[in-house]
Amino acid sequence: MLNKATENNNVPISGKASSSEKKRNLQFIPRLEVRQNSPEWLRLLIYAFSLLVGCVCAVLVMYCVGVNPTDLIQEISILLFSGTRTVGSVLAQTAPLIIAGLATAAAFRANFWNVGLEGQMIVGTIFASFIAIHDIGPASLRLFLMAFAAMLGGIIWIAPAGFLKLKLGINEVITTLLLNYVAFNLLLHLLFGAWKDPVSGFPHSAQFDLVERLPKIGWENLTYALPLAVSLVLLIWWILSFSRVGYLLSFVSSNPSMAKAVGVPVLGLSITAIIMSGAIGGLTGFAIASGLEFRMTRDFFSGFLFSGVLIAFLGRNHPIGVAVVALFMAMLVLLGQSLQVFYQVPFALIQLIQAIFIICVAASEFFLTYRMHWRN
Amino acid sequence: MVDFLINWISIVPSFAAPFVLAALGLIICERAGVLNLGAEGFMLVGAVAGVGLMTNGTPALAALIGAALAGSAFGLIFAFMVAGLRINHVISGLALVFLAQALTSLIATQQGWTNNPISGLKPLFSDSLSDILYFGPILFGQDIIVYFTPILCFSVAYIIYQTTIGLKLRAVGENPHAADAAGINVTLIRFLAIIIGGAFLGLAGGYLTVAVSKIWVDGVVGGRGWIAIALVIFARWGPWRALTGALLFGCIEALIPRIAAVGFHVPQYFLLMTPYLATLGVMIWSAIRLKNDWSQPAALGQHHIREERT
Repeated sequence: MLNKATENNNVPISGKASSSEKKRNLQFIPRLEVRQNSPEWLRLLIYAFSLLVGCVCAVLVMYCVGVNPTDLIQEISILLFSGTRTVGSVLAQTAPLIIAGLATAAAFRANFWNVGLEGQMIVGTIFASFIAIHDIGPASLRLFLMAFAAMLGGIIWIAPAGFLKLKLGINEVITTLLLNYVAFNLLLHLLFGAWKDPVSGFPHSAQFDLVERLPKIGWENLTYALPLAVSLVLLIWWILSFSRVGYLLSFVSSNPSMAKAVGVPVLGLSITAIIMSGAIGGLTGFAIASGLEFRMTRDFFSGFLFSGVLIAFLGRNHPIGVAVVALFMAMLVLLGQSLQVFYQVPFALIQLIQAIFIICVAASEFFLTYRMHWRN
Repeated sequence: MVDFLINWISIVPSFAAPFVLAALGLIICERAGVLNLGAEGFMLVGAVAGVGLMTNGTPALAALIGAALAGSAFGLIFAFMVAGLRINHVISGLALVFLAQALTSLIATQQGWTNNPISGLKPLFSDSLSDILYFGPILFGQDIIVYFTPILCFSVAYIIYQTTIGLKLRAVGENPHAADAAGINVTLIRFLAIIIGGAFLGLAGGYLTVAVSKIWVDGVVGGRGWIAIALVIFARWGPWRALTGALLFGCIEALIPRIAAVGFHVPQYFLLMTPYLATLGVMIWSAIRLKNDWSQPAALGQHHIREERT
């Protein structure tokens, strides 16, 4: 950004509509100037403003589908202040969302648009469930084996996309997304076939044994999924802030060609980030299956791709940011569930609000990068 | 065997048509340098518009036009994000897919369009013509959009390669800075390309519900938008090659429900994977085969800011 040409600053970009006849007048389309640097306070201000716009849009959308702002405030206050039970369920929702956000952010850091989180979750969970269903390994090590298998599954599912991207330059957005559909059909094949619940005959796997579930931490209904998520956040935060890999990775993500030119092992770093993303993606599925639902269900993954991208994007691909946004996202999800029950509002409303937030924050980037001149 | 073949081939065009239409829309966008990853979203919007209009008693053709207009209207958002606000094309595309998934699901649920069968588009010719042995069903059993699709394909090819506006379109996609210096309004061309491309994508989505599935369920497009994006790469941004590729995918999709009927026992869900795996295969093939092929618009996915010229 710094070495961009500045001498052409006073050329209007597309002011043809009004500039020729009336000089120094307001234009319909502003002239753009690239900002040379943007101070931290402006960055924060614009970010906060975009969130505010997102919130206003969200309230408007809710009003349109029949949720009054007063009802909304009431629902939110119930969620926040009605005791430890709701706090517990918010935190229980937060854990997988944090891990999903980390998985997405890890790949985004290396400029790899991994939108295959759902596929990686599915295959990771299939691997973990395989261990659980066939009781592989000693009971005391079962959970570790499952987590390990989940990470392996996630890596296996992201590896082709990563390989094709790095080796042949194939767009990873398309490959990772197509692999989601493949994974979903694989899941249905298992759940309607070999892994159908032997007790009820429903298309979900048999319940995991006690040793295959993440143990409870003893406060409300929380399982060790939350400490797992938090320790992942800290681990990745440490890697990014204090280790050599993190330093080089920030170099790669801000200017890949420059990094390559000065001898940073871009390829190796990209591979590391992609594998990490896949592994954490698999772990997301494990955290849900083993920490929340205690079996592999047909739709445990649904919406996580969506949330993962949103959390990574709003959290600026930073682990702490991811954790904070994930907490808000969990509240939003619970809010959506209670709206669904009490106001018959479809859950898609929450996804709509998420999409609006993505667009608002993405649009805010414009005001950071460019300065607008409305006068000619 | 002959029955099977005729039955199969006669259904191929209606499976291929949405792919052709979507690919044409994407070609228009991408020739102008706009990487449109929102194809799936555009198609969903078109699909829900088609169903909605049909449910409210609009004739099928008008519903399809409505679907195209809905695609254009959705394109306005994308155009504003990409050509106006210069948001990263990948993020904009993904955000639009998410937006469309949520919006269409919400609208369809609220209006009660979900799982509600509609009458759908009828074949263009009467039964007496399509009852002709062998070639009758293949040649005369199709609906109007199928016959219309090659004409559209021809028009798009003609406009892109033979007209001034097509030249401008390609110039903007190849080198926006040079085009700008030559006096072409880059932003305007991209805006128009997205809106017209959006109409094609909307029509493709509308065709899926109005003519093929004749019902709305959430996510009815089922990844066909992503397949269309891959198809455009396979077709090296050429309309006629896109038609050929779409026929290939139409054949695969039309074959899936027929394989089990013939008595091959491949697990159902593995059959349902084949379009996606075939797409992956096609992408790999294109990448290897066309490694040194420069038909991709050079400025695909790049913004144009006059001040950013380096």
